[in-house]
Amino acid sequence: MPTITLSGVSKSYGGGEHAVRNLDLVVPDGAFMCLLGPSGCGKTTTLRMIAGLEQPTAGSIAVGDRVLDSVERGLYVPPEKRGMGLVFQNYALWPHLSVRENVEFGLRMRKVPAPERRSRAEAALRMVHVDAAMDRYPSQLSGGQQQRVALARMLAVNPAVLLLDEPLSNLDARLRLEMRAELKRIHEESGATIVFVTHDQLEALTMATDVAVLNDGELQQLAAPMDVYDRPANRFVAEFVGSPPMAIVETGPAPTGLAASLLRHVEPRAAGKAPAAVGIRPEALRLGPPPDAAWHEEALVEAVLPAGSSWTVRLRVLDAELYAVSYTPVLAASGDVLTCWTEQLHLFDADGVRISSWDRAEATA
Amino acid sequence: MAVMTETEPPPPPPIRGRTLYRLRVLRHDPTALLGLVLVVVLAYLVVAPLVAVLSDAFRLQYGDEAHAGQAPGEWTGYYLWRVFRSPVSRLLFWEPLLNTLVVAAGTTLFALVLGGGMAWLVTRTDVPGRRWLAGALVVPYMLPSWTFSLAWLSLFKNERAGGQVGFLEAQGVRTPDWLAYGALPIIVTLGLHYYPFVLLLVGNALRRIDAQLEDSARILGAPRRTVVRRIVVPLMLPALSSAVLLVIGRVLGTFGTPYVLGLPADYRVLSTGLFQSIRDRSTGVASVLATVIVIIGVLVVFMDMRLMREHRRFVTVGGKGAMDRLGRLRRLRRPAFALALLVFVVSVLVPVLTLLLSTITRTPLDLSTFTLDYWLAERLPGAVGFPHGVLRGHELWEAAWNSLRVVGLASVVCAVAGLLVGYVVVRGTAPRVAGFLRQVSFLPYLVPGIAFAAASLSLFAVARGPVPALYGTTFLLILVMAVTHLPYSSRSGIAAMTQLGREPEEAAQVAGASWWQRMRRIIFPIQKGALVTGIVLPFVSGLKELSIVVMLATTGTQLLTTLSIGLVDYGYTQLANAVVLMIALLSFTMTTLTQRLTRTSLASGIGG
Repeated sequence: MPTITLSGVSKSYGGGEHAVRNLDLVVPDGAFMCLLGPSGCGKTTTLRMIAGLEQPTAGSIAVGDRVLDSVERGLYVPPEKRGMGLVFQNYALWPHLSVRENVEFGLRMRKVPAPERRSRAEAALRMVHVDAAMDRYPSQLSGGQQQRVALARMLAVNPAVLLLDEPLSNLDARLRLEMRAELKRIHEESGATIVFVTHDQLEALTMATDVAVLNDGELQQLAAPMDVYDRPANRFVAEFVGSPPMAIVETGPAPTGLAASLLRHVEPRAAGKAPAAVGIRPEALRLGPPPDAAWHEEALVEAVLPAGSSWTVRLRVLDAELYAVSYTPVLAASGDVLTCWTEQLHLFDADGVRISSWDRAEATA
Repeated sequence: MAVMTETEPPPPPPIRGRTLYRLRVLRHDPTALLGLVLVVVLAYLVVAPLVAVLSDAFRLQYGDEAHAGQAPGEWTGYYLWRVFRSPVSRLLFWEPLLNTLVVAAGTTLFALVLGGGMAWLVTRTDVPGRRWLAGALVVPYMLPSWTFSLAWLSLFKNERAGGQVGFLEAQGVRTPDWLAYGALPIIVTLGLHYYPFVLLLVGNALRRIDAQLEDSARILGAPRRTVVRRIVVPLMLPALSSAVLLVIGRVLGTFGTPYVLGLPADYRVLSTGLFQSIRDRSTGVASVLATVIVIIGVLVVFMDMRLMREHRRFVTVGGKGAMDRLGRLRRLRRPAFALALLVFVVSVLVPVLTLLLSTITRTPLDLSTFTLDYWLAERLPGAVGFPHGVLRGHELWEAAWNSLRVVGLASVVCAVAGLLVGYVVVRGTAPRVAGFLRQVSFLPYLVPGIAFAAASLSLFAVARGPVPALYGTTFLLILVMAVTHLPYSSRSGIAAMTQLGREPEEAAQVAGASWWQRMRRIIFPIQKGALVTGIVLPFVSGLKELSIVVMLATTGTQLLTTLSIGLVDYGYTQLANAVVLMIALLSFTMTTLTQRLTRTSLASGIGG
């Protein structure tokens, strides 16, 4: 039932600046949808509009067949009647209420009788493992515990739609990892539709079933996480997703050096359209003897940066600098000359829109 | 998964839908309505009085037709002429203006030297008993400002005015008029009241100066004196200028002291001149005077803001404090302590004890004439208007009850209004409403209390439209008192709500709480502390407030402060002193109690 549908949603503030522009988005029932984008891209505004805390200036929002906002038809349901759950970035626990009272609040508003309220609050707190801190106050909890209480507060009312606004950004690295797994588990257990806002691509890729990449108030790509990574819809997505970021080589009108080398390689396969830019992911750039169909070129090693499980190598290839990430030890030293190669190139047209990827799988198919 | 539109049927006329949508949103969010209500109320209570007083200054009042040769209600420059250019203008305006300037300058200088010196002693030297001194030297600010003037009279009053003479005269020493009344005593008594103000502001600034700034100068080879001259004093300028301007602003609107010490010798300042004009029912002249006071007040505050903005460039933040780098006084430690103690004695003990002794002796301060009659006697021969001890009869108790009731209610109204202003400003659905509320709630800060009271009087003295004449009602007293304290409460309300942010309320909203439930269960409980402070601070300062209420209180609505001034008018010195002692006691206990309970310091109460 709870498929969230946004159609033609725009949000502008006075002065004509748009936070969100004509957004069409469907969050399927039971999906774990990540809204991913840099800060100021409109992802939090979108989430707050779904929650009803902000109002669109055009378009409509519906959950299932219940219309929550429709500017054109004049329909509006206030946030308190939408029955959703929302976790804020800074948790927004009520400092004057104990953990238990915080969690019971939503149930109290729904006029749930006291004994049931109690048991449901306890169950929710047990689910996030903070049932021991039940009678403490938020200020007495650690950041991670507060985060869990905020989750429990939302889960206690058992909403069909869960909204999370960068809930993990204030946690340290270890807790964040733990909470990611936790959220995934909660999603599977509750079967709720989740919309999750983040600027952290790793969070999006690890947890989501669907990723919507936003920039400047506009939807850039809506796809499964691995598709966003493997087949970025445009240069923005290509550069935003992936770390270290994809190297983009502009070809220009008279390509020379690396650009010319890449073009020579992809042109016969580029379906007639000349790419304006070619992208190489550092993870896809390999060192050593190349296989037959791969693009390859000589590279001068400028620096090797080991990081435990991976090795980042800065290379000079013709007239350009490229990074390669290897998950096997790199035994070269700076000054060495190696061969670098890749079977995966991303081609973009002059507007930055993806033409195709050139990779081995596609080339042979 | 899908990305597409084409699900929506063709929309009806968008303008209608959009309006309907907005209305629906507004219906569910009372913040907009609340903002609108606040705008109307504040416009009526803050802006309208100022407009009314301005228009009264330029419209001919009843009774002046013959002099001005115009019909009542017509636009006229008659009052401007009368105040600024006529034969009586010297008496009405120029002399009071000059006196006001003299008093303001003198008081400021006095307070600056005393307060600045004491601040230095307390924060930057190893004078013995620093902690105790820091607290004790602030006490004068907790006493009503005209306590000092009554004590002064008890000591120096001569036979010029009626009633009992002061201690010195009683001893056979003739006190000349310049010592008993006028500029000198006003400056000294006001200075003694306002120096803690300087001490707090300058002391805070001194404490905040980073000792490393001074150390750096020392290491670069600057001798101690140069460090003070080139580093410390320039850094203190913002605090000093702020203190100066605030003291000037306060002196401008102060009424009690110049009334008690000035009028018997016909030494008029603007505030007492305004009071007399109103008492004489020359509304037009009073309106011009009130306008002038407002303009000077506004200028002073703007100058302060201007200076503060310029000085913000070198505000020093943080710092390790100068606590461990106290200047060594060496041989001067004891004399320094004696000096500070002397200041305390003169500014607290002498006035309070003088007042106390004067109420228990028939001949001033002569203990052989000890009597408790002024407190307890059932009949006081000769005192016609108040023929019994202050604790007898109903007057004191009625006034005390009125004071508590009026000031208490005003404080509650003020605190709640301040918090609501903060709420609307922070929710900020309509930036223009928020801006208006922010500005207008701050406006009374620019207007000296006595001028604001005069302004309210011109608006509310007569029935206007559906609003009946409110003069003489406690309702008016409560309103005006609440409005004059609104700048502080709305500022702290805005600060408190900004600090809280919108999320806690939004979390409750998403959890299903209606607006009332959010207010009742989330906002107000969280802001309980801010609310209590917001009630208590205006309450404490309101209890000793005289300038505002002296205009508005009538015999039916006597407060403690107006009762004591009334007794001064009658010449019943001992009785007036007794009432002032009661006020001082009440205000002092309330202040210390508050500081204990809420852990706020007085410094935040004076609103910097």
